[in-house]
Amino acid sequence: MKRIILIAFILIPALFFKANAQETTVLKEQITEVDDKVSGLTERLATDEADLQKLAKIKVSGYVQAQWQNFENLNTQPTNYFSLKRTRIKFTYEASDGVKLVLQPDFSPGAVDLREAYVVLNDRWTKTLSLWAGKFNRPNYEVEYSSGQLENLERSLIIRTLYPGEYALGAKVEYNPVNVPFHLQVALLNGNDGLTVNNSAGVNLNSNSNKDIDNYKDIMVRAVYKLKLGSFGGLDFGAHGYFGSIKSNALQTLSSDYTTIKNVNIGDGIGRNWFGGEFQFFADVLGGMSIKGEYIAGKNATVGYAPVPAAGTTAAVPGVANFQNNFAGYYLYFIKNLGSKNQFSFRYDYYDPNTDVTGKDVNVKKFTPADATVVKSKTVGKSDLATSTFGFALHHYFDDNIRISLDYDIVNNEKVGTTAGVSNYMENYTKADGTVVKNGLDYSKNVNNNVLTLRIQAKF
Amino acid sequence: MKSLNIKKFAVIAVLLGMIGFAFAPAADKIVVKGSDTLVILAQKWAEVYMKSNSSVAIQVTGGGSGVGISALINGATDIANASRKMKASEKDKLKDRYNTLGVEVACAKDGITIYLNPANKVKELSIKQLGEIFKGNIKNWKEVGGADQEIKLYGRENSSGTYVFFQENVVKGDYAPSCQTLPGTAAVVNAVTKDPAGIGYGGAAYATGIEICKVKKDDKSKACIPTAETIKTGEYPITRYLYMYLRNKPTGAIKQYIDWILSPEGQKLVVEVGYFPVK
Repeated sequence: MKRIILIAFILIPALFFKANAQETTVLKEQITEVDDKVSGLTERLATDEADLQKLAKIKVSGYVQAQWQNFENLNTQPTNYFSLKRTRIKFTYEASDGVKLVLQPDFSPGAVDLREAYVVLNDRWTKTLSLWAGKFNRPNYEVEYSSGQLENLERSLIIRTLYPGEYALGAKVEYNPVNVPFHLQVALLNGNDGLTVNNSAGVNLNSNSNKDIDNYKDIMVRAVYKLKLGSFGGLDFGAHGYFGSIKSNALQTLSSDYTTIKNVNIGDGIGRNWFGGEFQFFADVLGGMSIKGEYIAGKNATVGYAPVPAAGTTAAVPGVANFQNNFAGYYLYFIKNLGSKNQFSFRYDYYDPNTDVTGKDVNVKKFTPADATVVKSKTVGKSDLATSTFGFALHHYFDDNIRISLDYDIVNNEKVGTTAGVSNYMENYTKADGTVVKNGLDYSKNVNNNVLTLRIQAKF
Repeated sequence: MKSLNIKKFAVIAVLLGMIGFAFAPAADKIVVKGSDTLVILAQKWAEVYMKSNSSVAIQVTGGGSGVGISALINGATDIANASRKMKASEKDKLKDRYNTLGVEVACAKDGITIYLNPANKVKELSIKQLGEIFKGNIKNWKEVGGADQEIKLYGRENSSGTYVFFQENVVKGDYAPSCQTLPGTAAVVNAVTKDPAGIGYGGAAYATGIEICKVKKDDKSKACIPTAETIKTGEYPITRYLYMYLRNKPTGAIKQYIDWILSPEGQKLVVEVGYFPVK
């Protein structure tokens, strides 16, 4: 019996240790397996993280503006409709070495338009200069202000006239000194982006949006200084200038007072030069409030065309002189945030496309001289009339992405004198059923051009 | 449509404006978002404040200074915590949306701490050496008096204010591509604790269970660690303010909360957590 117990004492621990050793071996194998798996996952994670970091350099943003508008102008048909104002997606790639690429297409039913596409190179040494090349916003406060943030839904008339489509092809240098709230932009642009240059057949010669129509390059300069007014708010003020020319397609250039006609050659540069002063005042008074304004004045130009022989006849199609107009205009905003969700905005904007004539000088019929000598008799047109707009807008920020806006623009025209006869200040208009109402629009009074807009904007 | 009279429209606008004022949100719930450096302090403030002000609910989350400021601009937070100053581009966005320049409140001071593994022989570094290390120009510890071992860099994501501050004031260039970015200072500390060749940076309050590297301004200066004394005298070379940003001048519950944070009681918690008071 003792022998059996002794054998048991020897064998049981031996068996136990053997089993234990086997378990340890299995455990070691399992640990090695798990360790290998973790190493594999770590390696994959590092690869995925590197890929993710590349993707993080690409930013995608965009917005859709859907709206309903009601037009009170009797000559506008239909008087109300739904439309998509802007449908844009912006892709920005920011490389770590100071290079940025931006691409922004605008989608509208049946068409895609490239709104902006540019590259920015930042100087790595002083970190104050950047070079832009491609299609980008022209250097102007209201132009550069995001279309998705505009308080009165659309830009002022003077800005829409001087900078049609906002964007222009060219190159720009920006200077932003460190620790000084100063911002300088100098741009060299094709300068004719968005302008209409019709030939004698009424065909727009400037329809290629990726090419210039002349060799003249325009220069734009804008400088802004940002002043902080303690805890009260801040005042940004600055100026911008435009110095450019457009190629003449006509043989005469008419001055904006309709008294001087100058002979020019086709291909000569017709000057387009203006200056503007701007300010933006911000104050924290029961929530945010701002007053912003800009005044611009100078000389703009539209291009005519030379007389051409009519097909199959000896008679010539009469030419149209180039036209250089002295203009002036301004806008003034008052914007008040109402809590964090609502905002009210009022804007008054004024644009006089021809400061050398008044309404009483105006014939309603558009000036189209057959002969340069005709132009000396002050036959100015409706396009010389000044326009002022009172714009009221209310916005509700439903959440971070949705803005619902109600905007009402009261548009007033400069009044035409009545001394030249009814045909000079009255115009016909066409009703929805096609009936023409004779002399229905009276430009000796205000012609109703008011517009109501209800817009929903979603951005991401 | 019958045309609206300008006076009628103005009256409607003013009435709607008054309604807007009337429905301005009541601030009994305060949302705080932003800097991961500040998050432990912000949570402590909220916790203590809510105990004595039960009617106020304060919700605190991190995510990084950039994330907090974006949330402030988007209206998703009432207070954005930031371990760096607001950028000009961010102020412009605030102007565009809210027509204000924002309100900056310096609420604490921090000495950016350099974390080392306790096994590392290197105990002090100059600002220049730190810059070269994080740029990737110094790659081995033996180049700064340590063992022959490749340096492993740990840092924060680019949405972090600490990342931006350290880059602008110490690295003065681009971070080395080998610098591993981690989602929070606690993760940086954890990584360096486990890696004998590791080096990281972050807020002073996170420096527990780790070797704190002494830092000197230049070769002639004395190296020191961030303490209340060295921060106050300016001897420690990497100090910064920690900020809270608001859209508008604070009113109501938010004002009371900020006043309390800046009071001796609130600033006492700053020290308790491991940072330094503003005054």
